[in-house]
Amino acid sequence: MRIIKKDKETAIKAVEVLKKGGLVIYPTETLYGIGADATNFRAVKKLTAYKNRPFGKPYSIAVTDKKMAEEYVELNSTARNLYKEFLPGPVTIVSRGKHKVARGVESEDGTLGIRISDVKLVTEIVKKLAKPITATSANASYKKRPYSVTDVLENISEKQKKLIDLIIDAGELPHKEPSTVIDTTLDDPVTLRQGEIKLTNKNELLSRSEENTKNIAKELWQKYEAHMGKRAIVFALQGEMGAGKTIFTKGLAQAMDIRELVTSPTFALENEYGTGSKKLFHFDAWRLEGPSEMHSLGFDELIKGNKVLSIEWAERVSSVIRQFDDSAIIVWVELKFGKGDNDRLISWGVSK
Amino acid sequence: MKILSIDTSCDETAAGVTENTRVLSNIIWSQAFAHAKFGGVMPSLAQRMHEERIDWVIEKAIRKSHTKFENLDAIAVTVGPGLSIALGVGIDRAKKLSLKYNKKLIAVNHLEAHVLSCFAQPKTSKVSVPKPKFPALGLVVSGGNTILVKIKKIGSYEILAQTADDALGEALDKAARMLGLGYPGGAVLEKMAKLGNPEAYNLPTPIQGQENRKIFTYSGLKTAMSRLIESEKPLTKQKIYNLSSSFQNVAFSHLIRVCSHIFRSGESEYASLLVGGGVSANIELRKRLRKLGKETGIKISFPYSQKLTGDNAAMIGVTAYFKAKQGLFENPTKLDRKPNAKIND
Repeated sequence: MRIIKKDKETAIKAVEVLKKGGLVIYPTETLYGIGADATNFRAVKKLTAYKNRPFGKPYSIAVTDKKMAEEYVELNSTARNLYKEFLPGPVTIVSRGKHKVARGVESEDGTLGIRISDVKLVTEIVKKLAKPITATSANASYKKRPYSVTDVLENISEKQKKLIDLIIDAGELPHKEPSTVIDTTLDDPVTLRQGEIKLTNKNELLSRSEENTKNIAKELWQKYEAHMGKRAIVFALQGEMGAGKTIFTKGLAQAMDIRELVTSPTFALENEYGTGSKKLFHFDAWRLEGPSEMHSLGFDELIKGNKVLSIEWAERVSSVIRQFDDSAIIVWVELKFGKGDNDRLISWGVSK
Repeated sequence: MKILSIDTSCDETAAGVTENTRVLSNIIWSQAFAHAKFGGVMPSLAQRMHEERIDWVIEKAIRKSHTKFENLDAIAVTVGPGLSIALGVGIDRAKKLSLKYNKKLIAVNHLEAHVLSCFAQPKTSKVSVPKPKFPALGLVVSGGNTILVKIKKIGSYEILAQTADDALGEALDKAARMLGLGYPGGAVLEKMAKLGNPEAYNLPTPIQGQENRKIFTYSGLKTAMSRLIESEKPLTKQKIYNLSSSFQNVAFSHLIRVCSHIFRSGESEYASLLVGGGVSANIELRKRLRKLGKETGIKISFPYSQKLTGDNAAMIGVTAYFKAKQGLFENPTKLDRKPNAKIND
């Protein structure tokens, strides 16, 4: 382990160490970070040993600019806007990875966090190395945030010290919060649309209030109520955030004579209301990573058990819902914003 | 009383060791990226991940507390509310450990634990268990819940107000998403809000003047925000700061107004309010709640560390301690999950 002060040669010295798969502790705008060549598997393994954490926990990487970032991750429009407004700066932007870094750097579901530092030294090192370096704090897991080299060294074992090859000492850093992490992967358009859903007897109504929306749900319920218990009834709801999908489901529950409070299932993924034969299962597919995840939430059993379901963000899991086109009654409902503040255009139909 | 506690209710794998109300260790395997706590979920993967991590997390919790399994008095686990297949992993492990080491088993409600997280103390604390006067008030503000309860005594709760649509944390996450700050972005929104002007935009305070309905509601505010963002596009950095700040301001004002109505109109015997849940880490919200506390003469408490505000196991251990004192133990061969558990079950 060598400790050097910052000078003109610092970046060159750091690059030499990184090229050999070594670990370098360096100052960033938020705290001391520890860098390894993010494309070198052995270097990453060494880092994981230093951090004293199990293999598989991901690392963010530092790159020089957006162009370099795009070699390693797919940027969607949300990410591109964020790069434009917030980078370089103390922000980590998470996108889908392209699997071009060493194993163990991307998360287990293939996402990768990107940093573009506004500290010159960091950018210089990455530029000279021509590869991204890991951007993780230099403390071991569950230890104090390191604002000085002493903070690092006082909180690690002799064994860990031996794993560090080089420390760039820039003195005490101003005490700042760690970088803000923004996850853009749920906005991936790829997962958003699964093709047009063809409907028969498409109907449309204008709702002027939440009460109106609930009443439309009630009318729809009355239309299909006779099938209850004999076939599964699925209300597949589509519509932007704030369009009224939960409000619609409240109407359904009221029509079914369920008194329990119906709330958004975004967080819980699934809510269940009612008792006995009158039960409503309320799903939210917004946070699901793929349609097949509906199976692990017990969707198939509910369909086979002829239950009543309301599914928000149904277009995200339409392929799974449509597998039951023949056995279940599937009512596709779309809620769109209208002209007036409280106006919604509600259209529905049964899938062909 | 030393308790090993386990929580796998959502996507964090957590274990801790507590001694009465003191936290000896509180280990959380946080999701991939530090703040992105409840982003995209794969329930099947969540289950597998919990399976893979749980032993490591328990081991770490035991080691860090300088305890041995043999010296534990009981094992506690979250039974709900939460994601069914995720809950199963923790419950399964707790049952096995309980049988293997012949330890008593305690079932804990995750929501109740958020309310009681304020009783947790650092391990070095010399103070014995704080004794609040009951009835007291409890407020949970998180991604999954926004609920105000009357605590008649520990273990007995009455719901005074709860959300009619989105939880507060969820509303903040969704606003962040509309602003192009990813999902979930509630924590990002807080940082952006600090840099903006809360009065820059005029968003409507939900059910203003109808606080006696005793609900929290964010659906109308969400719609107004969506319309406002459309009219402000393209969004610059400064606009994002101001929109974040304005939204957060109104979302909190609504919460405070409803709480204030209940504090003032109801029983004057309330001496304290216990606040828990992930959003209780928000500095601005804390400020406003403290101000309300001063105005109404109610003592406001928060968990002593940020780690105790989000999902964690130490709060499960603290809650289990109170349950153990009431003799509430479970049969380890029969314990089952309760994904839809309510706080007043």
